Amino acid sequence: MSFVVANALTHRFGHEVALDSVDLVLDSGEHMAVLGENGAGKTTLLRIIATALRPTSGKLEIGGLDGFHERRRLRGYIGFVAHAVGLYPALSAVENLEFFCDLYDVSHVRADEALETVGLAAEGQKAASDLSRGMQQRLAIARAILHNPRLLVLDEPDASLGADAADVLGRVMHGRTVVLSTHDHALASRLCPRTLVLRHGRSVGTATHLRVVR
Amino acid sequence: MSSYVKAAAGAVVLMLLAAGAIFLYAPTDALQGPVQRIFYLHVSSAVAAFGCFAVVLIGGVIYLRNESVTADRFARAGALVGVLFTTVTLVMGMLWAKPVWGSFWAWDARLTSTLVLWIIYAGYLLVRRLAEPGRQAARLAAVVGIFGFIDVPVVYYSVTWWRTQHPGPVIVSNALPPEMLSTFLFTMACTVALAAVMIVIRYRIETLLDTKQTSTEPAKVLASREPSGLAGRAR
Amino acid sequence: MNPVRVAFAVTRKDIRSEWRTREMVPALAQFVVLALVIANFGFQIDSRNAPSIAPGILWMALVFAGLVAFGRTFAAEREQASLEAVLMTPASPVAIFAGKAMAATILLVVCEAVMLPAMSLFFGTPFSAAVVGAVLLATIGMAALGCMFAAIVARIRARELLLPLLTLPLWIPFVIAGGQAVQSAMGLSGGYDNAMALLLDFDILFVVLTSLAARFVLDE
Repeated sequence: MSFVVANALTHRFGHEVALDSVDLVLDSGEHMAVLGENGAGKTTLLRIIATALRPTSGKLEIGGLDGFHERRRLRGYIGFVAHAVGLYPALSAVENLEFFCDLYDVSHVRADEALETVGLAAEGQKAASDLSRGMQQRLAIARAILHNPRLLVLDEPDASLGADAADVLGRVMHGRTVVLSTHDHALASRLCPRTLVLRHGRSVGTATHLRVVR
Repeated sequence: MSSYVKAAAGAVVLMLLAAGAIFLYAPTDALQGPVQRIFYLHVSSAVAAFGCFAVVLIGGVIYLRNESVTADRFARAGALVGVLFTTVTLVMGMLWAKPVWGSFWAWDARLTSTLVLWIIYAGYLLVRRLAEPGRQAARLAAVVGIFGFIDVPVVYYSVTWWRTQHPGPVIVSNALPPEMLSTFLFTMACTVALAAVMIVIRYRIETLLDTKQTSTEPAKVLASREPSGLAGRAR
Repeated sequence: MNPVRVAFAVTRKDIRSEWRTREMVPALAQFVVLALVIANFGFQIDSRNAPSIAPGILWMALVFAGLVAFGRTFAAEREQASLEAVLMTPASPVAIFAGKAMAATILLVVCEAVMLPAMSLFFGTPFSAAVVGAVLLATIGMAALGCMFAAIVARIRARELLLPLLTLPLWIPFVIAGGQAVQSAMGLSGGYDNAMALLLDFDILFVVLTSLAARFVLDE
């Protein structure tokens, strides 16, 4: 049963094409890695799938709902970890999460649970600005799973995660449909059975990890 | 000859006819003398400017409802032409004020609100220039244009709401002799026609600019732009 | 989803951040006091001319403090890239906007709480409920407009430049009516009630309009 269906997604910034007619079908619970050089269009594709960016043209459907017209409703089912962590530096880790619990309309208990999941339980009272870059990334991931999303969109989540990146990601990805972009082919093949390779905004093929050596 | 050239030529002919009416047909004002002839174009430009800003308002509202690119282009064209006619109104008014009031400018409600109108729509044009072209710029500008229109009724009613130096509404109060009235109405019609032609031509230019923007081949590829920054900035 | 809960969560978050960092309020308070000092040199204020000059100075200082306060509230979220995370939740953009506007209003009111007593201390003008009421009433409408334009320019280059250009023209009604109200509250002629009624009208107009527009300004 396909959960994410993207059709001919195209995005232009001014007259420069960042994403050129990309198709994508993801089954419920499937994990897919998006690979490609810097500037290949990975971030643009992920932002579109997360409904953070509206494509110039093309169609996106998530769980049978239109990715643009139903976006506000869909956001209750999507967790997005963007490139920038987007935390409030003056607030503690727990306060950052509790604020988002209010926005997602879920209980504050979820904040502690999410911290536990990403292995930050001991750091909860520290201000976000005092956390290391890797811990901030964990906190951003924790924020994306507060509302128990069915679809998780992760833009280079491993960038600063450190040695146990695969473990943390494995835990949060479990049981969810996931699109993840990364430069780390080994990690991609470990976490995601499917791979989409982008070059100059075009899809140059999806494959199982065995065939993508580079 | 393209229809745009014909329309432009027609507008020029109309304005020349209006000039003829103003200088040859209309009688000289007994009190103010020839300076009074400024009135015809001054008020007509103000009316044309109001019309242009109404185009910005309606275009903006339509754009916010259904993202019609046509509506947005008309709004852009209307703002530019409207600022132009507001400039004409202000300059004409100042030229008139110098001999009649003894100074180019007075901090009078109508003058001030007209100046504010000019600033608001100049700001609209700045938003269009500085924002990344596309849906976002159109939407933000539409909001600016809608809020800006609040000043149009303020300008119009300023002479009734506040005690001002500026002459009151001579047209609606029926204070003009018939030759002056007909000259004014003719000039106003010509000026509005000129503004309409300018908007249509500007609309065409905006369309060409838009297509140039979106169809440059070969496609260049670019990293996606996104907000950058970290929570942990050192403080 | 309860929009009131969302709005208060946003306000609480902003106020808490400000309380921890104390970035804006001390700077703004210093700024408004400094504005009084500069004005004193510019206008040679004494007890006789104070009631006619002081209201002007008050509104000038308030307008510029407001521009900084409202500009910061969205610029900071942009720089931290946190606004996107907030907008990626199912929470209503109108509620989020209302929360940010409330927080900015509170910060400005704190500045006013410093400025008005300082003004009466330095210039000997009355510090009365009438003055406070006029300033607070104007603050509401100014905050609605200021926050909306701040949200608009946060997405545009040269935002520091553009914010005053867009905001100041539409703040003029508040400066006119507010100036009138404060002048008559300080003992000069002029209808206080009329000016207050005008302020209230503008408050209602702009609060309604901005809440209608917030959706288009904040949404992608």
